[in-house]
Amino acid sequence: MTISKGTLRGSNRIKENDKRRIIDESQRKRRQRKVMEMLESDNYHDDPHADLVMSKKVPKFEDNLEQRSSRTKRKERSVDYYQFKYRKNFQQLVDEDRAESEAKQRPSYMDIQCGESQLPSRHFCAVCGFLGQYNCLSCGTRYCSIRCMETHMDTRCLKWAG
Amino acid sequence: MSWDSKSPKISKRRRSSTSKDVPTKAAKSASLKALIIDNGGYTIKAGYNRDEEPQIIPNCIMKAKSERKRLFIGKQIDECRDCSGLFFLLPCEKGYITRWEVQKPVWDQLFGKDVCPINDNPTIITQPLFNFKSIQDCMDEIFFEEYEVPSLFRCNPTDLAYLNYAKENRLSRNEACLIIDSGYSFTHIIPYIKGNKFIQAAKRLNVGGKLLTNHLKDIISYRQYNVMEETYVINQVKEDTCYVCEDVKAELREAAKPFSKNTIVKNYVLPDFNNIRRGYIQQANKTDEKEESCQILRLNNERFVVPEILFHPSDIGMKSMGIAEAAVKSIYSCPKIDRKALARNIIIVGGNCKFPGFKERLYAELRSLLPDLWDVKVFLPSDPITYAWKGGGALLKLHDFKSNLVTRQDYEELGSAIIQERFNNFMIDDSRLDDSSKPPKEQTNFKYLEKLKSRSIFGKQELCPSGSSNDPTNEENGAASNSKNEQGEDGIVDSNKEESNSVSDEASQDSFQAVEVDKGKKSKVTQEKQSEDDVDIDSDVSEEDLTKSLELFPFGTGSYL
Repeated sequence: MTISKGTLRGSNRIKENDKRRIIDESQRKRRQRKVMEMLESDNYHDDPHADLVMSKKVPKFEDNLEQRSSRTKRKERSVDYYQFKYRKNFQQLVDEDRAESEAKQRPSYMDIQCGESQLPSRHFCAVCGFLGQYNCLSCGTRYCSIRCMETHMDTRCLKWAG
Repeated sequence: MSWDSKSPKISKRRRSSTSKDVPTKAAKSASLKALIIDNGGYTIKAGYNRDEEPQIIPNCIMKAKSERKRLFIGKQIDECRDCSGLFFLLPCEKGYITRWEVQKPVWDQLFGKDVCPINDNPTIITQPLFNFKSIQDCMDEIFFEEYEVPSLFRCNPTDLAYLNYAKENRLSRNEACLIIDSGYSFTHIIPYIKGNKFIQAAKRLNVGGKLLTNHLKDIISYRQYNVMEETYVINQVKEDTCYVCEDVKAELREAAKPFSKNTIVKNYVLPDFNNIRRGYIQQANKTDEKEESCQILRLNNERFVVPEILFHPSDIGMKSMGIAEAAVKSIYSCPKIDRKALARNIIIVGGNCKFPGFKERLYAELRSLLPDLWDVKVFLPSDPITYAWKGGGALLKLHDFKSNLVTRQDYEELGSAIIQERFNNFMIDDSRLDDSSKPPKEQTNFKYLEKLKSRSIFGKQELCPSGSSNDPTNEENGAASNSKNEQGEDGIVDSNKEESNSVSDEASQDSFQAVEVDKGKKSKVTQEKQSEDDVDIDSDVSEEDLTKSLELFPFGTGSYL
């Protein structure tokens, strides 16, 4: 009796979900961060010229170089000079700015960043783009219908940025 | 309503010019020819101040799949036949130049003979707010030593936009403005008070055109074609088809209709770089022969959901407030006197403002978030992309501008650090700068205040120990807790005066408030011998609350509380 009850009651979807790997909060955050990085990236693909062998010695912008050197006697600096002298990644720059702003007691780059919104977030189905009120149990992605859920399961869920 | 009549129509100091020194200034500005460069994250707007329109040049180096062995620097992309799968080398990271190996060639090309040569003219170049020191060092070095400009000036693009607006509208210096610059890398919201930036209230939203394009690329790739490599094309798709809607839910309902009845769904003809160089929206009932061989992209809710991110970054899981919310927050972090003026002088610039409906939506959101009695005006220039550049002309006409210019001699004698101070402090009031040393000062002052309160100088009221009352971000809280104090005090001291006042009309209440504010300020100043912005703001807020609640509690609130 009890066994049959267990088999009869409850939705199949939930039972199936029990078997699935569920991503915890920290991992979801990591995935979210990866998505944000992707949205900030300049390119998705690799440099199409990466396989070309270009000699670095070859001046690439000759016309400009000639033109300016005729005007002035000052030393021409190669691009590499600036790149080398002022090579700092963004995080280093932000850290420097923070130190400087503390010394000068002014707001810094990070200070003016907007805080969290007071408004509740809206949820859009990741598959079709309409309002999606359900969460994927595994990864937390939103979807709106069984159909979209199935698409999501077949395509994106746990398939990338794990 | 009341402030309209109060706001001074005749201003003593006009930023643009007063009648007296028009001729001399005109002569000066005529003699001054300068190169103005708005160095954006995606495009550079460059030209001389006498030009009508700037040249708009992509601020990047591009590599095409079709043409190997060749780089397309800036404007040269026009020569590229096949722009599919363009690979971008962008000089900026989050709006700040970090890749000099890219920026330098772009500038070299830009200042070359046939585009926009410097020719020993003064140069004005924009930089983002809080441009990092190392970037400024490099810019100084490049411009003074490599390009040998005779004099240089750097300022924020929002400065120029403000100056342009102030000039066009003959704005008095006392009229505060809020500039919203929504560009490729980010969106800045910066209030200008008395002609200066009020940077304590500046806000940055890390949503820009780049993020929107990448998001659109991502969802199209998931739903239709894989266009992950087609940033250039998808950016055009975004520009051509996306718009900002008034109400998302209604728009989504419309978009959910079958395609035959749906007014939102559009077919976009993708460029093939053979017959079609730039894509376009397909006309509903016309079928072109040309189009048959082309790929067609069907856009439905993508058209308005993508720009929604500007207003609700939480849609893509960003923990950040939207543009309208941030603007309101920024307005409320400004001194109370200027808030109404800020609300009626909102200027939106930057490429994202070109989304149809952007202005209307921003207005609607601001209108619902700001007090009913305030006038809200959002001004969208005819070309929001070049508006800041055009402000360069206004900058040159500032009477003290020449003294701000940094000459090569200055650079050589004084060094980068000093001239950067000059650039960075441009349009920042020195006194306000002192105020910006808030964080440590605030705390000490607050402690001081606390001590004063405990010695019951403020009257009979009991102490409110919550630290939130001094926190400008938590205003409501502060108002609530503070009003308790003030009500107690004033209810006892001048209840008569206030009773009579509660009957009188709005305007007199306003003026009364002002008097009260002054009084409050003075008393505090004398007590503390230190005027401090935050305390003032708080007292403003609390007094507003006080007048409101007086109608409810004419005999003081002590008994109710």
